[in-house]
Order: sequence, then C-alpha cells, then structure tokens
Amino acid sequence: MKMKKVLALALAAAMSLSMAACGSSSGGSSAGQPSTGGSSASQPGSSAGQSTPTPASGPELSLWTYPIGDWGKEDKVKAITDAFTADTGIPVKVEYLAYADGDDKVNSAITANAAPDLIMEGPERLVTNWGDKGYLVDLSDMFDDTDKNEINAAAMAACTHSNGAVYEYPLVITAHCMAINLNAFKEAGADQYLDLENHTWTTENFIKAVDALYAKYNAPVGAVYCKGQGGDQGTRALVNNLYGGTFATSSHDKYTWDDPLNVKALEQLKSMNGIVFDASLEGGDEIAKFYQGILKMAFCWNIAQQLNPNQADTGAGKTISGEDIVFMGFPSESGTPALQGGIWGFGIFNNGDDAKVEAAKTFIEWMCDSEHTVDAVKTANYFAARSAAEGTDLSSIWADNEVMNEYQVLMPYLGDYYQVTKGWAGARTEWWNMLQKVGEGADIAETVATYAANANAAAAS
Amino acid sequence: MARPTMSRALQRRETVTGYLFMLPSLIFFLGFVVIPMIICIFLSLTNANMHDKSLFGSFIGLSNFTSLFRDETFLEALKNTFLIVIVSVPAVCAFSLWVSSAIYKMKGPMLSAFRCIFYLPVVTGSVAVTVVWKWMYDNYNGIFNYVLKGAGLIEQNINWLGDSKFALWCIILILFTTSVGQPIVLYVSALGNVDQTLIEAAEVDGANGLQVFWKVKWPQIMPTTLYILVITTINSFQCFALIQLLTKGGSGTNTVMYYIYYTAFKLTEQAGHFGYANAMGVILAICIGLLSAVQFKLAEEK
Repeated sequence: MKMKKVLALALAAAMSLSMAACGSSSGGSSAGQPSTGGSSASQPGSSAGQSTPTPASGPELSLWTYPIGDWGKEDKVKAITDAFTADTGIPVKVEYLAYADGDDKVNSAITANAAPDLIMEGPERLVTNWGDKGYLVDLSDMFDDTDKNEINAAAMAACTHSNGAVYEYPLVITAHCMAINLNAFKEAGADQYLDLENHTWTTENFIKAVDALYAKYNAPVGAVYCKGQGGDQGTRALVNNLYGGTFATSSHDKYTWDDPLNVKALEQLKSMNGIVFDASLEGGDEIAKFYQGILKMAFCWNIAQQLNPNQADTGAGKTISGEDIVFMGFPSESGTPALQGGIWGFGIFNNGDDAKVEAAKTFIEWMCDSEHTVDAVKTANYFAARSAAEGTDLSSIWADNEVMNEYQVLMPYLGDYYQVTKGWAGARTEWWNMLQKVGEGADIAETVATYAANANAAAAS
Repeated sequence: MARPTMSRALQRRETVTGYLFMLPSLIFFLGFVVIPMIICIFLSLTNANMHDKSLFGSFIGLSNFTSLFRDETFLEALKNTFLIVIVSVPAVCAFSLWVSSAIYKMKGPMLSAFRCIFYLPVVTGSVAVTVVWKWMYDNYNGIFNYVLKGAGLIEQNINWLGDSKFALWCIILILFTTSVGQPIVLYVSALGNVDQTLIEAAEVDGANGLQVFWKVKWPQIMPTTLYILVITTINSFQCFALIQLLTKGGSGTNTVMYYIYYTAFKLTEQAGHFGYANAMGVILAICIGLLSAVQFKLAEEK
C-alpha cells in the first residue's frame, strides 16, 4: 500500500511538473528573455529554432514575417539576419507566417500579450489594423527630411496613420497586375488586342480578346475568383479599371464600390462567356490554373509571380508547358490603368520594453536605410521604396535583371493605396461575398449596393 | 471495534490514492474543458474583444444572443449546420449498420480487411483527405466532371464547390465518408456480441431474418447505436475543417463552427467580436446538448 501511495504521489507530481513546465515555457516566450545570442528561425508554434552563437550586445528580437518575396524563405532571411547580428550583435529570432492564418497567429499573440517585437507586412495590417488599435510604436522620429525626400511619396502616405503617426517603415513596393498566356492569345488571334510594348490594353480590346479566346477554346479563359480574400486585389482592380470605377474615397473614409461604373463592369464581366465567376478559387488557385494552362489569363499577378510563376521554379515568365507569360496592366477605357500597389515594410510592436524598441529601430534602420538596404530589397524581389539609402543608389539595383527592368514600365500606373480605409478586414469579406452572389445570378446593382453598405456600416461601427 | 476504524483508514487511503491517480487528468479536464466552458458562458454575456486590456470587456446581458437571432449570416449558418446533422447522422448510422450486418459474420482476415478499408479515412489526416476530395471536385480538371462529361451526363463542367446548389452536399458527402469508419467498427463488435442463444431461439420459434434483427439484435445493440448517434451528431455539429479547407464558408456552406472561428479570429475589427463568437458557442452547445438528450430519451424508451 505504501508503495502504491508513493507511486501515486510520484505520478501526480510528474504530471503537475510537466504542466508547470509547459506553462512557463509558453509564458516565457513573450517576456524579454536573457539573450543567448545568435539569430534563429522557427515556425510559429514550434519551440525548435536553429541558433548560431554570436556575441550578443542587445536584447534578442523576434521578427514575424509574411511571405513577402523571399522574405518568406528561411535560407534567404537567415543570411540577412545573420549579417545584421554579426554587424550589431543583436540576435534575431525569425518566425514565418502564411497569409492563410498569419493574422490569426498575430491576433492570438496580441491577445496573449505575446506579440513579436518586429513584424513585416503592408499598411493594411500595420497601419489600418494593429497601428490603429495602438499596438505599434510610432516611427515618426526615424524619418528626417532626407528620408522623406528619398521615400516614395505614395508609400510614405500609406504608412502614415490619419493621426500623423507612422506605423510602418516601407522597404519595398510593387504594382499588382494581371498576366496573359501569349501563346494562347496568338493561337486565338487575340494578340492583336495587346499593347505589348507598354503592357496595357483597353476595355474594348479586352472584351474582343476574351471573345476570341472563348471562340477558340470553348471554355472559360479567365476567372473572377471569389472563394475568399486571397488575391482579391486582382478582382478589385479588374472591376475598378474596366470603366473607371472607384473602391473607396480618396480620403479613405468610405467605400464607394457601389459606383455605377463598377456595376457596369460587373454586368459586362457577367455577360461574357469567356469569364466565369468562380467561388471555388482564390488568388493562389487561379494562379495555379493559369500556370497549368487551363486559364488563359490571371488577374492575380505581380513581379514575384513573373519571376517565378506559381513558385514552381520552372523558369521566369513560363507556364508549366513552357508557354510565354506576359504581364499586363488591367484593361481600362483609356488604356491607362490604375494599378493596386503593394507596399511592405516593418512595424514595431510596443511590448513595453524600451531596450527592445530601440534594438528594433536599429534593425529597421539597418534593413531600410543603410548600405545593406540593397540586400534587404533584393531578398524581397520587389522594388525599393526609396531612391537611395544613406548615399547608396537604389534606383538601379535591378539593372542586371531583364524581367525586373521590363516590369518597371508598370510602376508609373500605381493608383491609390485605398487598403488603409477603415474597416478593411470586414470590407474585403463583403467584396468576395458580393462577387459570389453576383456569380450566382443575383441582381447586380442591388447586390453591390447591399454589400457596399455592409462594408460602410462595419467601418462606421 | 478496531475493525471498522481500520476499514475507514483503508478506505480513506484508497480514496486518496484514487484521486491522486485521477489528478493529472482532472487538471487537464478542469483546465481545458470546465474552466473554458465557464469562461465561454461568461464572455457570451460581454462585449469582449481582442483590443480590451481586461480581455473580459463589459457586461451587456443577453444582447449578443438577441443580435444573433437578427444576424442573417448566423441564421444561415445555423440552418446549414442543422441540414448537415439531419442528413449526415441518419445516413451514417444506417449505412454503417448495413455494412456491419453484411461483414460481421465474415472470417478473420476478410473482416479485418473491410474494417481497415472503412476505417482508413478516419485515421488518414483530414487535410490530406480534403485535398484529395478537392482535386476530385475541381471545376476544371476534376475527375467527377471528367467522368460525367465523358459519360455524356453533363455538357458543361459543374463547379461542385463553387455553386451553392452543390457545395453543401459535397461537404456532407466527405463528412459521411470520414464518419462511417468508427460506427462500422463499433457495430461489427456489437453485432458479434449479440447473444446467439436468443437468435437461435427466435429462429426456432419461426422468426424471419427481419424479425430476428428487429426484435433480438436491435435492442441488444441499442447502447452502441446511442453512442454512435451522439458522437456523429456532435461531429456533424462541429464540422469546421472541411469548410475551412474547401469553401471558407462561401457558396452556402457556412456553419456555426466556422462562423465562430471567423468572428473570433478574422473579424477582429468588429466591436465585441469575442463575446459574440462565445454567444454562438453557447447556442451551439445548447443545440448539441438538447439533441443528445432527445437521443438518450428515445433510446431509453426503446
């Protein structure tokens, strides 16, 4: 009996200890830990991380990054963060987020007071969401007049909250566009409708091209994907550009996608045999179908896709079967598109530790405003958000890359960065739900009005 | 007189030992089931959201519940959830009973093979199963469209997961295939344990096969049936992974579980989103509890 009692006590003690150990390890991740030195990388949720011993002269920083070009690839990021650590002695622990559930992880971390020190994403999250709610540090003091002159004005404006605080330090920018399968267009005789020099086309030519492709292939050639919000910038840009409709006011305080010009665009798209409203696809799915040659055009595209279609490593600007992919601006009546911008950079979570905030600012300065900015930008595979950094010219860093060079033709078409409009997360949901209803045959004007009103009501609340 | 004293001491020691053995699981049960349930009920009466410093928000009474019954999205999700339960639960029970009746008398290896086949979807990762189904349902090059078109049954491809006429039924079909494994194994075991002497006596008395099943076997496997009904009902109510992976709640497939997740973790800009999501959780728990109680009651009467 005595033995039994001892065994019972030992078992209970072991279980209690293991639980206590679990608790302390998860709790400890949020608090400032004594630095062990070195940069490390791990997936969110996993405790394992690789460490490279280096002399530590600052608190360890945690960086969570969304897959922004190669900033989502561990080997590339490790190279640059190791260089930063070697230079400054500040170790960086990197965790990689996916767009599918990255927001959930960040929101859960915020709720549990375990937010990372640094986060890499765009203004729609850093400024409109987490910055607006007061979780991020105001970075205004990091910008002097030279910085303001060097940084793209539109990017700077997007990173600045309406209260004047700057919640994101921009690193890279790009223009989102669409793409076409040139071989298919040639086979259907639709290449005559493309301006391949300027990578633009008119709405009239777009309609003719889709009709020609449909006549040739007798199947949908383009998909207005609407399964979820993934890649929704493509469908918004398509609808807005066709007849010049808008998505939000220029002051970014109200959604205006119930614009009659957008209704007209949706009616046009719905009436086209070659275009299907597909609620089983998101942006990534659409890219895969385009890459496989099933769809002849993709509305979810940018330079990263052009360099490495479908991230399949089968060659820049080629489909799976080697057909040529050409990036294009969205069709508009005048042939001059207004493209959605992508702006990515760093924000700092205010975790109440001044030393970490200072170390995080050192990190940002090293990445975004120093001679190392070239490497940070090249890791992203996008264009630098500024013309120069501390005397290093950034405007010609892609001179040796033909695809990047050619893509610059689209950059002047960058339109309003309306993703910073209040209630953005809810508005995105309303948008793809609206497209599903339109696809199912609901009255377009009425549906558009209903969902735009929902978005505005949510933003107002 | 010493004897009862010794006995009480012994009893106390045994009781303490028993509780100590239970302690680890009790800690987990309290920490991960009871306390979260209490927090859920409490939060459903507040406007808690992730931006509150306190986490618990302010007490707002039953406002979340009244709002829920005016929320068209929630009502649609509730309707879809009940449709899944109403279709899936009887179908799973009937099919698994039918299969079990056909295979339970088979010899060892054959029976094991069938058990394996039907249990395979249960032990296979739900994400892997879902991805395979997603390929089969694909609008452009899925096997279903390929076969149906090849057989001349359809002219245009059907967008199985993108058309609200089909999407929910496609989800129910996957749920069905992943749900029948365990009931089949349980029914095979239960049917094998039915008292043979009663069956033989009934047959001697002239009972036909249907009568033997209905009058002899069915009452004896009733506890198993009840268990299967309850777990299948709960699983159907909690249908989430399939929705998340296949449709994200679109094409008329939103369910209460998905809407809870969506409200709690995606609509973080909406005021009081945690409280609202918890209120949905409470409604869902009440529905599951009521339906399970009805099932227990009916089985008791039987």
